[in-house]
Amino acid sequence: MSHHGDLQGLTRRGWLRAMSTLAVGIGASRCVDGQSVDPGARHYPRQMGRSRVVLIRDRAAVGSSGGVDPAVLRRMLQDAVVTLTGTTTPETAWKTLVRPSDRVGIKSNAWARLPTPVELETAVRDAVIGAGVDTSHVDVDDRGVLQNPVFERATVLINIRPMRTHHWSGLGTCLKNYIMFVPRPSEYHGDACASLGAIWHLPRVEGKTRLNVLVMLTPQFHGVGPHGFSQDFVWTYGGLLVGSDPVAVDATGARIIEAKRREFFGGHRPISPRPHHIQVADTRYGIGVSDPARIDLIRLGWEQGALI
Amino acid sequence: MQQRQALALLAVVLVVAIGLAAWLWPGCPRATSTAPAVELPASVDGWTPRGPTASYDPTTIFDYIDGHAEVYLAYGLRRCLTRRYGGPDGEADIVVDLFELASAADAFGVATYDREGSSVAIGRDALLRHGWLSFWQDAFFVSVLSERETGRSRAAVVAMGRDLANRLPSGGSVPAIVSALPAVGLDPRQVRFLRHSQILNTHLFVDDENLLGLGPSTSAALGRYARDGSQGYLLLVDYPSASLAGSAADAFGKRFALDPTEGIAQVMDRGWFAARARDARLAAVIDAGSQQLAATLLSEALDPRTGGKP
Repeated sequence: MSHHGDLQGLTRRGWLRAMSTLAVGIGASRCVDGQSVDPGARHYPRQMGRSRVVLIRDRAAVGSSGGVDPAVLRRMLQDAVVTLTGTTTPETAWKTLVRPSDRVGIKSNAWARLPTPVELETAVRDAVIGAGVDTSHVDVDDRGVLQNPVFERATVLINIRPMRTHHWSGLGTCLKNYIMFVPRPSEYHGDACASLGAIWHLPRVEGKTRLNVLVMLTPQFHGVGPHGFSQDFVWTYGGLLVGSDPVAVDATGARIIEAKRREFFGGHRPISPRPHHIQVADTRYGIGVSDPARIDLIRLGWEQGALI
Repeated sequence: MQQRQALALLAVVLVVAIGLAAWLWPGCPRATSTAPAVELPASVDGWTPRGPTASYDPTTIFDYIDGHAEVYLAYGLRRCLTRRYGGPDGEADIVVDLFELASAADAFGVATYDREGSSVAIGRDALLRHGWLSFWQDAFFVSVLSERETGRSRAAVVAMGRDLANRLPSGGSVPAIVSALPAVGLDPRQVRFLRHSQILNTHLFVDDENLLGLGPSTSAALGRYARDGSQGYLLLVDYPSASLAGSAADAFGKRFALDPTEGIAQVMDRGWFAARARDARLAAVIDAGSQQLAATLLSEALDPRTGGKP
C-alpha cells in the first residue's frame, strides 16, 4: 500500500497525532548539526534554529488611488529575494530558489476584497521563468490548486498572499493560505484553525515551499460585518514580508497587525480569535520559528510607520 | 366495499408519496421560505440603491460571502437579501444584508456569534460598532455596514436599521436553554446559542470531532463564568431524547477521562472538566479554574433547586 493509501485509513485526529509525533522528531533532529534538516529548507538554511525574514517597504508602492505600482513592486520583490538569499543579483537569487527542471506552483489568494495583487503574481512568475523554468511549468492559482496540473506535479511552491484579519483563524497568513490544498477546508476551522500546520506536512506540499511573501501593501487589521471587511480597517503600509519560513514571516506580520490595532484602537485590543495557529505551527508541527527572539528581521526601505 | 376503500386509501398514499418524492428530488424547484417577502428600503438619508435587491439561498450564498457563510448555514440559513446603497457627497456605500434563518432562536444565535459593540435600541440586541450595526428580530439577522464611517454615515446606518426593524415581523424570544444558564458570575457578552460543533469550537475548542452530536435537532447554550477568582465555561445542550443526552455525556466522559461516579476530572493544561446528563439535557463544564467551580456549575445547571431548569 502506498504512503498516500495509508493516509486514507487515518481519522483526522489520528493524522494530527501522527503529525505531532513527526513534529517532535523534526524538532529533535533540528539541533543535530545546528542546521535545519527540513527537506524544503535546503536553499535557505535556518542556522541554530533561527529564521531570516526581510521586511521591505516603499512609500511609492501604493498610489493615492490605491493602485499598485508594478515597477516599484517588482523592485521590492527582487531586493528582498537578493537579501534573503544572500546573493548579489536577482537572477542569481532566483536561481537559488528554482531550477530549470522544476515545476512551480505560485499559490496566490483570490479573496475578492483584498486579493494578491496581480502585479505581484506577474513579477514572481516572470522571475521564475527568468531563472530558466519552462513557461508551461509555471502557474498561478488559488481555489483550483487541487485540480491544477502544474500544482499536481509541482516540485516547488511559492506562497504569496495579503495579510488580513480572518473570521476563523484570527489572521489570514501564509500558513493559512495552504488550506486550499485540502478537499474540505472547513475541517481545519476548529480551534481557530490551530491545526493548519498539519497541511504543510501533506505529501503534495511538504518540503516544496521555497519562498513565502506576505503582502503588507494594504493590510487589513480588523474585520466587521458578514464579509469581515471595511475600508476603514486597511491602511497603506507599503510593505512585503519575505522569507523561507512561513511561521517566521507570519509571526512578524502578526506583530505589525497587533501594533496597528494598538495604534488605531488606543490600547490593547487582541486579535480575535487569537491566531495561535502560527505558534502551533512551530511548537506542534515544527514548520518554523514563531519566537521573535529567534527571527532575524532585516529591514529595507521606507522606515516611517513601520510599527515594529 | 372494503376493497374500494382499500384502493382509495392506496391511491391517497401513492399520491402523497409521489408528491413527497418530487418535493425532495434535488432538481425540483421549491420555495426557500414561507415567510412573506421583505422589501428593503428605497432610500435613507440620501443613500439610494445602486441596484435591485439580490437574493441568495443556501446553495448560492458562497457566491456572495466568501469565508464566513458557514456561520449562517450553521443556523439554518433560508435566504439572504442584500442591497447596496450609494452615498451622497462622496460618502461611501452602505450595504444591507438581511439573513432569514431557520427560526428566531437561530437568528438570536447568529447575533450571539459576535457580541462586541455598544447597545442601541433597535430590534433585538442591536449592537453598533465602527461602521457596523447588527440586530436580530423574529427569524431575521440584520447587518447594516458603512464601508467608510463618517458622522453622517453612522447616522444613516442607524436610520437604516430602524427602517428595517419596522419592516420585519416583530417577535422572537431568547431560547429557553439560554435562560437556564445560572446567572451568578455569567458574562452576558459571552453567552452564545448554537447548534453546530464548528461554531462551538470557534468560541471554545472542545474536540476535533463532533463529540457531543450537535446538529439541527439540538439546542446549545454556552456561557463564560467568573466566580471567586476562577473562570470557566458551562455548556448546556438539549437533545431530542434522554438517551441521546446520555450518549453525549458518555462520549464526553470518555474523551476527557471523567471520573465515572463524580463526572469530573482535571485535564492537563486546560483545567477542570465535568459533565452529566439529566433527562434530555446535558450539562458540561469546560476549562474551569477550580474543582469547586466545575462542581458548582454542574450542580446548578441540572438541579432546579439551585437554579437549573432541565
